[in-house]
Amino acid sequence: MASGIRDKVAIVGMGCTRFGERWDVGADGLMVEAFAEALADAGIERSRIGAVWVGNALDDINVGNSALPAAHALRLDKVPVTRVENMCATGTEALRGAAYAVASGAVDIALAIGVEKLKDTGYGGLPLRTKGVQNDLWMPYGSAPGTFAQLAGAYAARHGIDPGDLKRAMAHVSWKSHRNGALAPKAHMRGAVDMEKILGAPMIADPLGLFDCCGVSDGAAAAIVTTPEIAKALGKANPVTIKAIQLASSNGWEMQFGAWDGASVPNTRAAAARAYAEAGIRDPRAELDLTEVHDCFSITELVIMEDLGLSDEGRAPADIMDGRYDSDGAIPCQLDGGLKCFGHPVGASGLRMAYEVYNQLQGRAGERQRGKADLGLTHNLGGSPFNSVAAVAVFGRLD
Amino acid sequence: MGGITAVGGYLPLLRLDRKVAARELAWSGLPMPRAGQRAVAGWDEDPLTMAVEAARPLCADSPPAALRFASTSAYFTDRAQSTIALHALALPQSVRTADLANSRRAATTGLLDLLLAGADEILAVAEKRPTQAGSSAQLAFGDGAAAVRCGENAAAILAGYSAISHDLVDRYASQQRPTGYAYEERFVRDVAVAELVVPAVREACQRAGIEPSALAQVACAEPVGATWRTAAKKLGCSAPNHCEMLTDRVGDLGAAHPLYGLGLALAAARPGDNVLVIGFGSGIDALVLKVLAPVPGAAEIAAALGEGEVIAHYARFLSLAGSLELDWGMRAEFEQKAQATVLERIGRDMIGFIGGRDSLGNVQFPKSAMPVNPALEAPEVFADVRLADLDAAIVSVTADRLNFTPDPPFDFGLVQFDNGARVLMELVDRPSGGFAVGQRVRMRLRIKSQNARLGFRTYFWKAAPLVRPHMGEA
Repeated sequence: MASGIRDKVAIVGMGCTRFGERWDVGADGLMVEAFAEALADAGIERSRIGAVWVGNALDDINVGNSALPAAHALRLDKVPVTRVENMCATGTEALRGAAYAVASGAVDIALAIGVEKLKDTGYGGLPLRTKGVQNDLWMPYGSAPGTFAQLAGAYAARHGIDPGDLKRAMAHVSWKSHRNGALAPKAHMRGAVDMEKILGAPMIADPLGLFDCCGVSDGAAAAIVTTPEIAKALGKANPVTIKAIQLASSNGWEMQFGAWDGASVPNTRAAAARAYAEAGIRDPRAELDLTEVHDCFSITELVIMEDLGLSDEGRAPADIMDGRYDSDGAIPCQLDGGLKCFGHPVGASGLRMAYEVYNQLQGRAGERQRGKADLGLTHNLGGSPFNSVAAVAVFGRLD
Repeated sequence: MGGITAVGGYLPLLRLDRKVAARELAWSGLPMPRAGQRAVAGWDEDPLTMAVEAARPLCADSPPAALRFASTSAYFTDRAQSTIALHALALPQSVRTADLANSRRAATTGLLDLLLAGADEILAVAEKRPTQAGSSAQLAFGDGAAAVRCGENAAAILAGYSAISHDLVDRYASQQRPTGYAYEERFVRDVAVAELVVPAVREACQRAGIEPSALAQVACAEPVGATWRTAAKKLGCSAPNHCEMLTDRVGDLGAAHPLYGLGLALAAARPGDNVLVIGFGSGIDALVLKVLAPVPGAAEIAAALGEGEVIAHYARFLSLAGSLELDWGMRAEFEQKAQATVLERIGRDMIGFIGGRDSLGNVQFPKSAMPVNPALEAPEVFADVRLADLDAAIVSVTADRLNFTPDPPFDFGLVQFDNGARVLMELVDRPSGGFAVGQRVRMRLRIKSQNARLGFRTYFWKAAPLVRPHMGEA
């Protein structure tokens, strides 16, 4: 196996806008807001940025395609800017590009920035788009909750779990995230919600009710990455470093070939295994201090806990109900409220997850601070359970 | 001598109790039928999809020499439904195709042509006629399809016939008036009986060498109620009119009505019986058929009458019938544009539901340059495998209430075929308890997408429960 990028790339500055219904600002303003915070955090001038990866998943809706929207917004003068898109895993993909550039030695300092302006669609939820002129002839146009809802029935069938028990565990996932999100000043939704309200919410896609689904948001998040040496020169004595970034993509096997029972996301398992190897993690349950995962829907987070190896097969509902992933649990998940409450501006979400881990590792998370944290994981998932792109990243300190 | 070798029929799942509509419209005082039910097509069913369903059982053994399609409500006016149906039925392109239109009589005219020619041909007839809320036609009509195959070794042969061309304007539909316009029933009945039905039946029976009283079964598609009963008295015929029962239970199926009624008549007939079928519209066709043996498919046509689900809400019916345009919100603004280049490249695999078998025996859909089978590492050519006629099992499923569909919820999920093919599919004909993981399903041709602005539709297959319920609430 390749040696990987463990500790070859440091994060010296991060920024994240307030997520939500940002009627007051466009995509360019969101990028400027996140970038300005990241620059200030890094303590560098804009001119030191050697290359940029901008992540934006729904270019036709809001930001626009190519390098130009970011280059214009940030007034980056003749800097190489690359726009990346990998559905909901776009934010981590942007970070991967920037990190690889630094690790390869091609660039000293790189910027990864993700942005989305979804509230300009005029309605809630992700916008409907063509799946391509060939796929349009046969592929159903299900919504995002429709695709992920199918995890629930398949999971219950695989493990023989009562649908009511599963629904209560899913509700606990959302209840926990709302409680956490209330402590995140930049979160889209900051109100705690009780279990009864979650369980009694209108159905969106069986068995996902309204509170089983994250909303969509406007927002941007950014990371400035460099070598550990430059980071130290910038005054970051023990900088946050990237321990691993791994990505796995479906090749059509789940949708077309069979064998998969629909009760897990195989790509998450593949990306996690590679990330643990790259980061040198042997026992993720013992070594990880926190996770920020792609909780687009409550059932997704539940299944992710098993896909990441944090719960035994079939045990995630029980672990969730026991509080293992609560803010005061053994491995807290979504300390900032996650997609569910911090919000989901698609292209920014992977970097928003990194932002929370980055702050937790440095003891800068305010009311949400989870004591001393040494190792944190982000998991960013694009597509659907049966046709996905899964990204898993691990962050820690250099020493 | 050639004759009818088999029949097929299709009715949509849903039924409207006419009394439900009559109750909702009681305040208006409008006259309308209040007894019985009418069949209601799903939003994604049209004459093409229903005709294909009716014709499917008739294609099992060998392809016919020709496929004819008949309807007065076909969607395309310059794109042959018969040719689209040919691809949906996976028939060879050497099979001749033709569309018949512009008269409810088209089915019997087509049938007569087939019988006189003695050719091995399929005639598939279907209707989903637009109607206006409050009109008697909206409750009297029904949606459905029927098909017939003719050829050698027939189970029923033509014994006599009569055809009278007569531009009696009992009702009409036109480009400016697609929902149709009907004239006074008493006028229509009097003229139809005296000028058309009685003379035509007498002539057909005379050619068959029988008296009208010797008719054992009748399928008379009437222009208005009581036409046959009035004529039958004059003719001295006491045979039951299966089309009248059909009108009561599923509605007047337009061009498909005499053919579906014929299927019912053949199901009731015994070898040796004389069966009369009458098509009406711009004249009349009267055909006397001599039954030689049980007609394949007839029993299934009769059984289908008892299957279905009753729509609980009149407003849902109005929406499905196109009489109530709801504001479905911004998600309904999404448009797909089908490209002719893509249809030419892969369209026949789509509408025929043709997957590919790789060199190791695994079947996949759609075909791809590189097989999905992990054991294969190079591009290869697949062998065609039709999935449309196979059962499958649901792997995962949901009822999606966010995604736009004209008849919520939007059921979809992964479907696994026993031959290895796995396809993400829409699910239709939802059971009252919804769909479940592991449930067996069968394939139905439906509208996949429609672009109202461009006036275009695409078709694909959707998964439906293996069996339909006997009348329950929908």
